[in-house]
Amino acid sequence: MWKLQEYRIATNPAEAVALMRKGPGKGAYIAGGTDMLLEHPACDFVVDINRAGIGDVARTPGGDLFLGAAATLQELVGNEFVTGFAGGAVSMAASQCGNRPVRSTATVGGNLCNALPSADMAPVLLALDATCYIADEDYQESLPLTDFFVGPRLTVLEDRLLVGVALPGECAGWRCASHKLTRTAEDISLVQVAVALGVDDGRIQEARIALGAVAPVPMRASLAETMLTGQEIAAITPDVMGDVAAIAAGECDPLDDHRASAEYRRDMVSVLTRRLVTRILSDDGDNSQDGAA
Amino acid sequence: MNISLNLNGTATDWEVAPGQTLLQALRASGAFSVKLGCETGDCGSCTVLLDGQPVNSCVVPAARVNGSRVTTLEGLLGDDLMIRLQTELVEQGAVQCGYCIPGMLISLYALLKQGPPIDEETIRHALTGNLCRCTGYVKPVEAARAVAAVLEETS
Repeated sequence: MWKLQEYRIATNPAEAVALMRKGPGKGAYIAGGTDMLLEHPACDFVVDINRAGIGDVARTPGGDLFLGAAATLQELVGNEFVTGFAGGAVSMAASQCGNRPVRSTATVGGNLCNALPSADMAPVLLALDATCYIADEDYQESLPLTDFFVGPRLTVLEDRLLVGVALPGECAGWRCASHKLTRTAEDISLVQVAVALGVDDGRIQEARIALGAVAPVPMRASLAETMLTGQEIAAITPDVMGDVAAIAAGECDPLDDHRASAEYRRDMVSVLTRRLVTRILSDDGDNSQDGAA
Repeated sequence: MNISLNLNGTATDWEVAPGQTLLQALRASGAFSVKLGCETGDCGSCTVLLDGQPVNSCVVPAARVNGSRVTTLEGLLGDDLMIRLQTELVEQGAVQCGYCIPGMLISLYALLKQGPPIDEETIRHALTGNLCRCTGYVKPVEAARAVAAVLEETS
């Protein structure tokens, strides 16, 4: 059994932070717990944030999509605000995490705070310009999700609490697609790529390419994005696409491990980037993830 | 710590350890339909309903279910839909060793409870968290389709 001295339940974010700081000993926040109950991290107490009022999914008056940190992945799969945002790309990514009972309790905040390089929700949220909202005892601050990840299993939070992420309303109409490349459907990803394009007047006005499991932290391929930005769709030839994909592959920094070699991962960044951009631009209206690469 | 929950329709108080899992607490309370399998959230043999949603009870802290509604197969034995589902699984030959069956029944029940439309894809999706190492999945899926067809006719 997990050696815990105390299970604390927070009823709001400020209380959660206070409970975390109260001591004695080392504490950790717990939401769905689907990772923590496997790993039994060494700590004296946990602070449960499932009832801290941060599990809602909502469109703000300004049109942003707010995903509460304690919203479950299953909620993201079926919530109509999420399915109606950027072609339902966030719902699609959530539906690829774990299995059905895992998604009932696993949360979007837990997925991000666990901060694995392969965090399933990170690429699609990075591609849709997510902002993180972080609570301290007496203030909240926000920062871009790109600045949230510090290293493998490390975020900027320290003992503060992630209360949610917001996707800007401007991204609601972007075309977005992601791909999680795995050996088996439930495995941790070998490579993830998410692409979001804001297309207007036959031209790519905004381009985002986000990569997972190919660097110490989930990352954006900003050089490849710059190449696509401002391009007329008609001018994107297979040669241009090849260059964009090669640049994205050059930006990542993958590891060799038992799942795949660094070389394979880098190749797959290229393949998936080309495939996703091509598919989004062909805009067949089908935002589903395709099969294995 | 002391927690209160609704277990299979009955108000229940448990004394649980902070690090105990819902699976351990359920079996200690006599809910033996909840099987101990992988204990890593992969196999689904410990699936129960937490506030109506299927969860792997091996990766849910017992302390978390304070104030919640937990349903195991024991709580659904007199339920018409569950009886229909169990009958269909037996008739289709979908039960061999039976270890995965309580978890599969809970997962399929949660899906069927949503009501139509239910097709093969939604059934297979609902079973993504339930591993079976002897029957396989064809017959359980066929059984669930048969129940779904009856639900469709009567809805």
